[in-house]
Amino acid sequence: MAETGRLTRVPAPAPVIGPVTLLRIAIILAVLAIWEFLSHSGWLYRDVVPSLLAIGRAMVELLTHGEYYFNLGVTAAEVGMALLIGGVAGVAAGILLGANRFLSKAFESYLYYLGPTPKIIFFPIMIMYFGVGPESKVALGTLSCFFPVALSVAAGMRGIDKVLIRVGHSFRANAWQMVVKIYLPAMRHPIINGVRLGLGVALIGCLLAETKLSNKGIGFLIINAYSTFDMPRMYAMLIVLFVLSIVANAVVGRLGGLHTIKRQ
Amino acid sequence: MTAATLRKRSRLSAYAPALVGLGTIVGFFLVMELLVQTGMVNRFIVPPPSEILGSFGRVIVEEHVFSRFVLTLTECLTAGVMLTVFGVAGGVLMHRFKLLQQACETWVAAMASAPIVLCYPLFLVIFGRSAWTIIMMGFVAALPPVILKTIEGISGTRKVLVNVGRSFNLTGSQQFWKILFPAALPTIFVGIRLGLIFALINIVGVEFLINFGGLGQLINDLAERYDLAGTYAAICFVILVSILFFMTLEKIERWLRPVD
Amino acid sequence: MSPPPSPGNAILTADHINVRFETAEGPVVAVDDVSFDVRQGEFLSVIGPSGCGKSTLFNVIGGLLSSHQGVVSVGGETINGPHKSIGMVFQEESTFPWRTVTDNVAFPLELIGMARAKRIERAQHFIGMVGLNGFENRYPGELSGGMRQRVSLARTLASEPKILLMDEPFAALDEQTRLLLGDKVLQIQQQLKQTTLLITHNITEAVQMSDRILVMTYRPGKVKRIVDIDLPRPRTSEIVGSEAFGRYVAQIWADLREEASRGMRDEESHALHTHGAAS
Repeated sequence: MAETGRLTRVPAPAPVIGPVTLLRIAIILAVLAIWEFLSHSGWLYRDVVPSLLAIGRAMVELLTHGEYYFNLGVTAAEVGMALLIGGVAGVAAGILLGANRFLSKAFESYLYYLGPTPKIIFFPIMIMYFGVGPESKVALGTLSCFFPVALSVAAGMRGIDKVLIRVGHSFRANAWQMVVKIYLPAMRHPIINGVRLGLGVALIGCLLAETKLSNKGIGFLIINAYSTFDMPRMYAMLIVLFVLSIVANAVVGRLGGLHTIKRQ
Repeated sequence: MTAATLRKRSRLSAYAPALVGLGTIVGFFLVMELLVQTGMVNRFIVPPPSEILGSFGRVIVEEHVFSRFVLTLTECLTAGVMLTVFGVAGGVLMHRFKLLQQACETWVAAMASAPIVLCYPLFLVIFGRSAWTIIMMGFVAALPPVILKTIEGISGTRKVLVNVGRSFNLTGSQQFWKILFPAALPTIFVGIRLGLIFALINIVGVEFLINFGGLGQLINDLAERYDLAGTYAAICFVILVSILFFMTLEKIERWLRPVD
Repeated sequence: MSPPPSPGNAILTADHINVRFETAEGPVVAVDDVSFDVRQGEFLSVIGPSGCGKSTLFNVIGGLLSSHQGVVSVGGETINGPHKSIGMVFQEESTFPWRTVTDNVAFPLELIGMARAKRIERAQHFIGMVGLNGFENRYPGELSGGMRQRVSLARTLASEPKILLMDEPFAALDEQTRLLLGDKVLQIQQQLKQTTLLITHNITEAVQMSDRILVMTYRPGKVKRIVDIDLPRPRTSEIVGSEAFGRYVAQIWADLREEASRGMRDEESHALHTHGAAS
């Protein structure tokens, strides 16, 4: 087919590997190179910067032994439990505070100012109530994630389009139906965001508690590696932990995003 | 009903929620007092609130609460200065070099939600059991929000302001210092406030965990000595301090941004 | 002074409705001793200038506002809360953005516990009635404003109310869409013999659709006049051009203009007052 001419310029085909990707690769390589250099230079105390090979070996060792997965399971269970209890309590409290202006004015500021306080300081109390097992970690995680979820949901409630609430009332929906069919769906974004935040702080809470006093869990493994000065293992564990937490965050975020595709 | 009665009534109803809130808390403590004194709640797990209140004085004097407070505050301020300097600089750099921003911004965002504080054993190895571990921990954990907010602030400058600068033929550097940066300052302050909050949380937390430093260490000490009332008192004290800290930060921010 | 409610097949009666609000400047009477009835199968519009309390009246009849004096009764039963015989269509966007059209329309059926298959079938019936066939699985975000209002209408119709209560449902739409939707509503109303009470500020709309029009005064809102609209049925938007139509519109406009001017003067003096007090 003959082309008589083009009015618009055809854009150049996109490079297979864009400049952004190239830069990222370059940065990663540079960091790895500096790392390896420092490791062999002897400038820092031995093993503070172990060689990449040592870290790699430690990671293989870590991931091929059941012990890691057992501890991962323990921590995951703690975080899951904390998120469940704290999340549900947070949603319930948030709905109450958001729906009722009086309650909100009476209590919400306490939540707001208590929220950013480091919850790890409550750990001695948790140990006293719940003992040194996973329960005290779950308790701390629950305490941590309650606040961001409650505050997020309370704000979300106030942001619900008022007419939707009137629609529910006009059809004589009972309180339960209002919550399940109107409040919760209307607040799916604040809830997802609150859960994301809650997941982050519950994870930190449980892990820190494990490093302080525990005989199971990832936090325990990390502090154990520290006390035996097994640095390659500690690095390996930290790397895996970070990767997992980023993935978990992305997954929760995607759940929220999926809703926006269908929404207006 | 006269307008005056209406106004008086509305003022009372304005205070009612605050009173109810406060009342509930006081009521809760009274109930706890009762429960513990009558033996329904084990006093070796929960000391009676009156005893906790009583130990406040003892804790403040004997445990040198004031000097601990100063220590924690110093750590916070040091971390705060560091994260302001490096965070804002980092954000500016990333804005200036768009490619860098495109490459690294998502990494920084990922770091913001990652459990950085878990690296404290690592920092312990590098810096030893010293204030520097604590400061560096606070600094590193608080860096991402500052960088992100700085980028957001600078790139969010209204187009029209940028065009005003161009219409005056400002050089790149003038454009930045006279227009972009001042316009971004409110958002940058939000970032610094967030950073300070992250820093305080991590600093107090790490003090507790490594049993070194100021207020965080106090709690740990008292807990290990099984001084129950003292532990509760110390926790209350730390809560009070952090609440005051956040309120002050809010006031400062509001003072700097009187518009909204 | 309001005219006494007429006897006959009245399905809804509003008896001496009084609504007072407490504001910072003192009590304000929104609705003042309004009485009227709505007869079976009729289309009654309530029209008035802004600030005449018609939306307040809407909320009272719908049972969403309980701090009023006077009695509203449906089929002999006094209303105290949303009544199952009354279906409401709101002025604002009220579709649930997270539900498909079908799920939106089936909402009232879901609340009463109807089985899923039956719900969908019933919802389909009303979706067809408002002319949205083919859009069953779309989300409101994908529809235009007029279509979304049709979904809200279908949803309310699905609950098969004895009385359809609508508060300026077309206010947010452009004139052409409004006229065509008005046609649709008329069609449905005539097909279902649905008793309808429409709150509006639009005279053309009111005259086009109603059997009777209740004209309200500016605040405090009283019944100024009840006009019988004697135009032949079935009606379409073409009737807007007829002479009789024009006469009705002129008559109602004469009444309304008086009230609207009073309203404007009142607002102006109010603004002057508050600003004057401040300076």
